[in-house]
Amino acid sequence: MQGQGRTAIRPEFALTEKSRRTMKLASLSRSLLRSAAVAAFALSVTACATRPADSGADAYAVSDPLEGVNRVVFGFNDVVDTVALRPAAEVYVTIVPDPVRDSIHSFIDNLMSPIYIANNLLQGDFEGAGHATGRFLTNTVLGAGGIADVATAAGIPNKPEDFGQTLAVWGVGSGPYLVLPLLGPSNLRDTVGYGVDTVGDPIRIWAYANDHKTLSYVRTGVSAVDARSQVLQSVDDLRRNSLDFYATVRSLYQQRRQADIANKPAGAPEFPDFTAPPAK
Amino acid sequence: MTVDNGRATATFGPTMLTRRLFVACAALLAVSSWAGRPLLSPAFAQSADAGAAAFIQKLGNDAIATFSDKAKPRQQALDQFRTLLYKGFDVPYIGRWVLGRYWNEATEAEQAEYQKLFEQLIVTTYAERFIEYSGETFRIAGTAPEGETDTMVTTQIVRPNGPPINVAWRVRKRGADYKIIDMVVENVSMGVTQRQEFASVVAQNGGKVAGLIQALRQKVGRAG
Repeated sequence: MQGQGRTAIRPEFALTEKSRRTMKLASLSRSLLRSAAVAAFALSVTACATRPADSGADAYAVSDPLEGVNRVVFGFNDVVDTVALRPAAEVYVTIVPDPVRDSIHSFIDNLMSPIYIANNLLQGDFEGAGHATGRFLTNTVLGAGGIADVATAAGIPNKPEDFGQTLAVWGVGSGPYLVLPLLGPSNLRDTVGYGVDTVGDPIRIWAYANDHKTLSYVRTGVSAVDARSQVLQSVDDLRRNSLDFYATVRSLYQQRRQADIANKPAGAPEFPDFTAPPAK
Repeated sequence: MTVDNGRATATFGPTMLTRRLFVACAALLAVSSWAGRPLLSPAFAQSADAGAAAFIQKLGNDAIATFSDKAKPRQQALDQFRTLLYKGFDVPYIGRWVLGRYWNEATEAEQAEYQKLFEQLIVTTYAERFIEYSGETFRIAGTAPEGETDTMVTTQIVRPNGPPINVAWRVRKRGADYKIIDMVVENVSMGVTQRQEFASVVAQNGGKVAGLIQALRQKVGRAG
């Protein structure tokens, strides 16, 4: 009923401003675009194949064809969170002082900078790449190897870009919503993106080449606890206030991803006037 | 959206650093802020409706004034929260919007009970956060027209602990009154989130609004 027309414009298929900019660069990076097109095609085909023909009469209906499996994995993750991750994050918050945790957070994030820079470049976003490079230099040099986030304090906020977003900018549809074991909410496109970011991560490549695999595992563990510690209260609130925690998380994930991809708030929903409500 | 540059510079001022480091710092910051400038362009250059911003400012000031007093009895604080909620938000409108197409499928009795439960859900969800007020402040970051009738008022909520949160308020003018009809926290619309959650609950109960009402009863009964 409301906003029936909106259903037709699936945000993941709409050409974003950035992808248009990417096209302008076609002459510079033809081979890159060719491989992108192949990847985009391959993923969109899968996405279409798994997308139900009718996503519902409601413009805000979510597509989740694998909901049954997803709910099982979600339940498993919830148990892992309850018995391991959340308690670990609580201990971490209790015994490690605030400034130290901030430093750890900044350090971990600074190590991700090469990925942010690369993805900005792959999206044809040279401003974004300059921004991420500025942050990386500032924090590495002035922030003592990244333990102080000097850049944010100076008005250059962190804007993570991952390969899932890059694929989206290239026009790849999200594919079905997925809940990954241990990793949590995702979709087919973002799962591929996560894999590419992981394999292409210079820190990981360095660690594996120099027999420092343990360092890599430590980083993963600390990142997980750090990330969880940032949202202790918000997740508790959500869990307590939700009628259907699974559906809430799914909605949050999809809205956040849309905004992250567009680098601006997602298109605002329509709020029709109900002053003349239909009978009944 | 924008961060106060003046304050940031003061924190990392020359007194903390040797002169040479300060010069290096200034150079690097100049480079980075040049690189970052296009991203910080004033998205809210033209103001849409000054009245909407003033309305949010006043509502926020009232909330802070109300919940700063910690000696207040709990029931009184709850009542005041409800008063502020109705002063600021068009609760019945939001309730109806959130139910989406199921509104028309519900009977009148179901609609009435749903609206009552929806209000209680809002109170149980948010009242605690306001009553436990711990020194947050806010500032209006900008306003922009939204849709044909509304104004989006963007605020930044500064917390004593943790990074600031960006919250945008969608404000609709009704006659001389302003009312909030949606709240967008870090780019996530609370209205859309709740709508998708409710739709999921209805779907799991065979497409029946009665199932949602039952779930709401349990939720507000247990939490409140």
